[in-house]
Order: sequence, then C-alpha cells, then structure tokens
Amino acid sequence: MRTSHQLANAGGNGLSRRLSRALAAGACLAAVAVAGQAQAAASAVPAECKALQAKYPQFKGKTLVNAINPHTPGYETIDPSDPSKYIGLDIDLGETIGACLGFTVTYKPVAFAALLTTLQSGQADIVISDIYATEERARAADFITYSKVFDGVLVAKGNPKKITGIDNSLCGATAAENTGYVEVPLIQALAPACKAAGKAEPAIQLYDNNANCIQAILSGRADTYINDVNTVDQAVKAYPDKLEKAATLALPYSVGIGVPKGKPEFRDAVMAALTAIQKAGIQTELHKKWAIPIENIEAPRLVMAK
Amino acid sequence: MDLFFHYLSMPYLIRGIGFTLAVTGLGLAGGMVVGLVLASMQLSRFPLLAGAARTYSIIFRGTPLILQMVFAYNALPLIGIKLTAIMAGGLALALNEAPFIAEMLRAGVLGVDKGQVTAGQALGMTPRVLMRRIVAPQAVRTMVPALGSESVSALKNSSLASVIAVEELTLRSTQLASSTFDFFSVFFASGLLYLLLTGAISVIQLFVEDAMNLDRTASKSRFARLLPWRRLPAPAEATAPAAAGAPDTATPSAPAPSRDRFAELAAKEVVVRVKGLSKRYGIQTVLDDLDLVVRAGEVVALLGPSGSGKSTLLRCINHLESWDAGQIHVGGNRLGYRPDGQLMTQHDLANERASVGVGMVFQQFNLFGHLTALENVAGPLRWVHGVPAAEADRRARVLLERVGLSHRVDALPRHMSGGQQQRVAIARALAPNPSVLLLDEPTSALDPELVNEVLDVIRRLAVEDGLTMIISTHQLRFADEVADRVVFLSGGSVVEEGPAHEVLTRPRHPLTARFLSVMGADADPGRAPSLPSHPTEP
Repeated sequence: MRTSHQLANAGGNGLSRRLSRALAAGACLAAVAVAGQAQAAASAVPAECKALQAKYPQFKGKTLVNAINPHTPGYETIDPSDPSKYIGLDIDLGETIGACLGFTVTYKPVAFAALLTTLQSGQADIVISDIYATEERARAADFITYSKVFDGVLVAKGNPKKITGIDNSLCGATAAENTGYVEVPLIQALAPACKAAGKAEPAIQLYDNNANCIQAILSGRADTYINDVNTVDQAVKAYPDKLEKAATLALPYSVGIGVPKGKPEFRDAVMAALTAIQKAGIQTELHKKWAIPIENIEAPRLVMAK
Repeated sequence: MDLFFHYLSMPYLIRGIGFTLAVTGLGLAGGMVVGLVLASMQLSRFPLLAGAARTYSIIFRGTPLILQMVFAYNALPLIGIKLTAIMAGGLALALNEAPFIAEMLRAGVLGVDKGQVTAGQALGMTPRVLMRRIVAPQAVRTMVPALGSESVSALKNSSLASVIAVEELTLRSTQLASSTFDFFSVFFASGLLYLLLTGAISVIQLFVEDAMNLDRTASKSRFARLLPWRRLPAPAEATAPAAAGAPDTATPSAPAPSRDRFAELAAKEVVVRVKGLSKRYGIQTVLDDLDLVVRAGEVVALLGPSGSGKSTLLRCINHLESWDAGQIHVGGNRLGYRPDGQLMTQHDLANERASVGVGMVFQQFNLFGHLTALENVAGPLRWVHGVPAAEADRRARVLLERVGLSHRVDALPRHMSGGQQQRVAIARALAPNPSVLLLDEPTSALDPELVNEVLDVIRRLAVEDGLTMIISTHQLRFADEVADRVVFLSGGSVVEEGPAHEVLTRPRHPLTARFLSVMGADADPGRAPSLPSHPTEP
C-alpha cells in the first residue's frame, strides 16, 4: 500500500510533512488517490539494467513523480475501465525505465502548459507526456528523445474547408489547439503567406486539453485540430460519423522525455536505460501494443539549451 | 442516459468528491482563521495593523485564484516550501477566501449596536467578555447567510485546484472525458455531483439559521412555560399592571424635601466628587471646569438645555469617555487611573468599574438584543461578578419583579415596549448593587404614555431604597418630586444648584429661569398644571 510516506515524499520537506500530519483528513484522501496509480507495468527488463542500477544506485528504491497531461489516448489517459490507473505508451515506457533503474513511478496530472513548470518547481521528477523536444522548451528542461513526430489534421467529416495541412489551406480557417503546443507558432507563422495571397490569417482557439479541442470541432467552433496523429486517429475512431483525418504531416520535432536541468546523472541514467530498452526491442513491442507506428521510433538523442 | 448513470455512480468520480471537500474544507477553515486575524487587525486601534490587513486584502482579493493556486504549488518550492497539491490548493483557497471572510466578520461586528457595547462597558465587561458574550453572538447570526454563500462559492472555486494536479471532481471528469470521449455524460454527472454538494451546504445553512433564530427559541420557551413544573404566567400577567400602577400610591404627593433631609445628607460620605472637569471636542467646549459633589443617598437631577454637557458628564463619571483636565473620584477611587496617575488598560478599567459599582441607564435602553430580559440582568452578574448561575437567576427574577416585569422574564427586548425595555435596563443596572446609579435621560426616547411607568420605578428606588442617583432629565415635575438637589448646567459648567424645589420655583440665575420658563415651569411646579408631563426637547 503506497500511503502517507509517498505523500510525504511528494511533499518534500519537513514543513509540508508537519502540515500533512496536522491535516490528517486531507492527507488520507491524498493517499487514496495516489495509491493504486502506480502499477507494475513493465514486464521484461533488459539485461543491461543490472549494470545500470549498479552504476546509478541513487535511484534504486525511490518513488519518482511523473508529470503528465493525461488527455492523449494512446500515450496517456486514465484507464476507462479502471480510472484509478493511467495507461498508454508513455506510461509503459516510463515504468519500464523505472523498472530498469529500480524506481517506481507515481503521477501528477497537470495542464499541458504546466508540465515543465511542475518539473522546474520540483513538484515532479520527470515528464513523459508526448511532449515535443523543441529548443525553446529545452530552456526549461533537458530532453531525451524517443519518437519522431507525425501530426494528423483532424477536421469535420467531409472536410468542408478543404484543409490539407499547415499550409495556405488554413487561411481564413479556425484551428483549435492546446496552450503551449508546438503547432501554435507554426500556424501563426502562416499569417504573412495568407496576407500575401489576399486571404484572412488563420484564427487560433486555445484550450487546455485534447477533449476541449475535439469538442470545438464537434460543436463547429473550430475547423481543425492539428495534433499528434495517434490522438487524431483515436478521435476519428470515437466519432467516425462526425470527424475525419484530412492529412498526416511530418513535423521537424521529436517527442522527448523531460528531466530537470542540472541533474546530469539522472539524465544520463534515463538515456542509458532508454537506449537499452530500445535495443532489447521493448519499445517496439509497446508501440505495437498501443497501435503507434513503429517507424516513429527514434534513437535517443539529447535536446538541450544551447 | 445509461452512460450518465454509469458515470454518476462511478467510484472514481465519487472519490473525487473527497478531494473537492478536502480542498474546500482547508480553504474555508484556513480562510476563517486568516480572516479572523485580518478582521481584528482592521478593527484594531493601530493604523499600521489595519493598513497591513488592507494591503493583504487588495493583493489577494485582487488577483485570480488560479494564479494563486499555481503560485502556491509551483513558486513556493523555489523558496523551499514544497506543499502537496492538496495543501497548496487549500492554502491558495484559504488565502483567497480570507479577505472575503474578514469583511463578513467586520461587517458583523460593526453591525452590532454601539449602544449595547457601551452598556456592556458600563456594566464592567472586559473587551474579551464583551466580544464573547455580546458582540460575537449577534455578529455570527448576521453572518450565517453570507458565510453559507461563501462556502458554496469556495466549493466551486476548489475546482480550480485541477490546474495543480489535485485529483478533485473537475480534474477527474476532464480526464475521464479525454479517455472515453463521453464528454456530455461525464460533465452532466459531475455537474449533478456539484449540485448535490452545494445543495447540502444550503441545507446546512438553513439548519444553522433556524437553530440560531432567536424568535424560535423564544417560542420554544413560551411553550416551555406551559409545562407543569414552570410557574404559570397568568398570575404574573395579573400583577403586572398593579405593579406598574402601584407607585402612584407609594409616591409622596407632597415632595419638597425638608431642611432635616438636607442636614442628614450633608453628614453622609461623598460618593461622587467631580473637580475642575474640562473636556473639548475640537474647538467646542463640552465641559468647562465643572465641579460636583454627590453624597450617599442623594438624588441629583441634572437639568439644562441640549448640549449643556449633561450626558457627557454622566459618561465621564464612569469613564466611558475621557476628559482633558480635572479629576473624578467615585467612592474614593479615581476611576480609570492607576495609583501612579497613568491611564488603565480597557481590561483593568472594566474590572474597576465592576468593583466600584457605577450603574448606568441609557436614553436608548441599550439592552442586549439577543438575550431575554432575564439574561440581560443575570448574564452580566455571572460574567462580570462571577455570581453562580442559580443565584444570578434568582436575583434577576427578584429585580424584574420589582420593576413589574415578572411576566416578561423570557421576552426578548425586541418584543417589549420601550417602557418595559427601560425597566429591564434599570433592573440590569441595579443587579450588581451599584453605589451610584447614573440615568441619562431615561424617558426621552419613550412614547408619552410609557414615561410614567419608568418614572414610577425610579421614584420608588429613590424613596424606598435610598439609592444614590444622578439623573439627567427634562421631567421637571419628576425632578421636583424625586430629586434632593437640582444642578442646572449650561455651556458645560454648573450655572446654578440647590434644593430641587427651590431652584425649580425660584431660580436665581437668568439662564435657569429662561430654561424653566421655556419648559413651562414658570409657575410653582407643586401645583402647576402647565408642567410638561412628557419629554420636550427644546
């Protein structure tokens, strides 16, 4: 049973522990939530892991907090059949890395835009949440990439605005996006081209999570939602009569695992574990399990601020 | 519809309520504590404290809760305070609620009638007793509706804790919606859960309001009086008019205190000695080098036009007001001053008032609005003088019977006539056996037909008890009948004083003569049909 010690762990210093004790009721409730979220997901662990645990003993037996934005089916959502659990590629991958280095994982569900601030403030130890490792974000965290990025263009059934991608077809259209998504600046960058073509620039509506973006299309408030192709596929699967995928785009980014800056040992350990996991073919299995194309897999690479 | 019920009964969502309640509870409890501190800072006498509290309110009332949540969660760790999500959410909500709750507390306290506070002080209540027994019980009653709606608002605001990873209802519903794509069923279910929670708060509020409703307890006690072991109210009702009417026969019809009485009084010890008392409000002089000596058993009537300083003098005698120069001794003590001549704290002053024994009756009665007639009299005996409950109760009943109100012991002030209220106020002032009773225009706020019932009670106190009294009044006939001495004030000093009948019939000073003639007292008051029988404010 992961109970109050975990909370204290998440809480950090003595002050919060005292407060937690003082407000035992709140603490108990917190414990109920945290318990059961972490699960033994990873099955197989590569052989190299033993050596890694010997090299990085400081993570063994620890409980680390993974900040996630659990609104991306396939990568991270709660389990509809058991909402106390999180499921998806990122969840499995993170727990496999944990199993390899000897730590267990708990989760903090936050807004997408709050992922990196949560990491920076020390409220989380790692971010594995389908976040693209851009140079700008690398100012807030170090990234270890594990997947290429393909975006899908989600539109209403029949694609009434004839949208084809992040191009002039978006001029005059309205795109729903999440705050902090990399697609936002890419769409904004179309404005001069649209103007030159004598068309209106694309409008952007900013939301907090996928659910709201998809709703924006279903309710006719937005014309498109351009995001990770797997998310788009899931939405189309859920609403085959109302939604469709207009196109698939390759973006010049990679999906990365965010770790705090200034902790090179942890970064190196995660990178080494990820490399071992890829070599052992475990990531391939996980991609298959979650129906994410295996062509996306990318050899781990560091993205750090220059 | 099936999906809706599925989500409505889903343990995952229902457990989310626990977090919603935890954050709301922390927010309200913390907000109450911080709000209490803020309110007392704002009500304090120190401008610096009040200013600090106001600055806090401006900041925390003026910034969005969502930012405060993110701040408590993500910024505090940078200075080494790493709270759990629930604690951070609770803290932010508490800090945000505090200024709103503080304003409710402040309004509640300020809403309590100032006169009741003065009356409590006059009875010797320390600031703490006043707050606990008089102000807080009445303030809380007025605050319940506002606190109820603030609780509902806090509960809804707790949903903002979803941005800092508190697994409360809103966060759980959005996550569920994201993973199942059943947006509407999920959100309708969580909306209904919120409604149930806020509905429960409203029901609690109604219960609390009902439990605190004074009229309800009054009606309950009315019912209780029908119980066989309680005294029947009927005989009391029957005796009441008789008691009120009785003094007519008890009153000496030919007053005119004799020379013997003056000689007798002159030998008694001095109870109140006022020497060179001066007080100004800005440029206006209220009391100007005033001297007054009152001896034990003496009844002194203070006469004079409005603004002549009568009320201020009375309020100075028990130190409800401060003054600029002069000394006041009551029973040999300088009330409100330590032996070294320094001013006492409010707390010590209250205790000294209680021990010296200066009773006061006010123009506006100033009964404690939330207490029955009995409690108005018995309460201060217990809280100030430490009289055991049974003894205080017995004494209160005796006194209420003396003022002809044994049939109204369980009545609330607001259910009594002005005359009845003033009679309770007199009983309350008499309860601690004061060495002197100050009456500040005791009948001026009464309807004409109620004046006599109060005057009769005062008359009997003078005649039967020989109580030392200083009465400011416009009732010339009454002054003539009851007072040993009349002191005529004008412009804050004594213009003329002497035996009541003499001053009233043969004033020596032109100001006195003019005042008496304006009041219709130019003739011998003993036989003057033109004497006013009710208060006339010039």
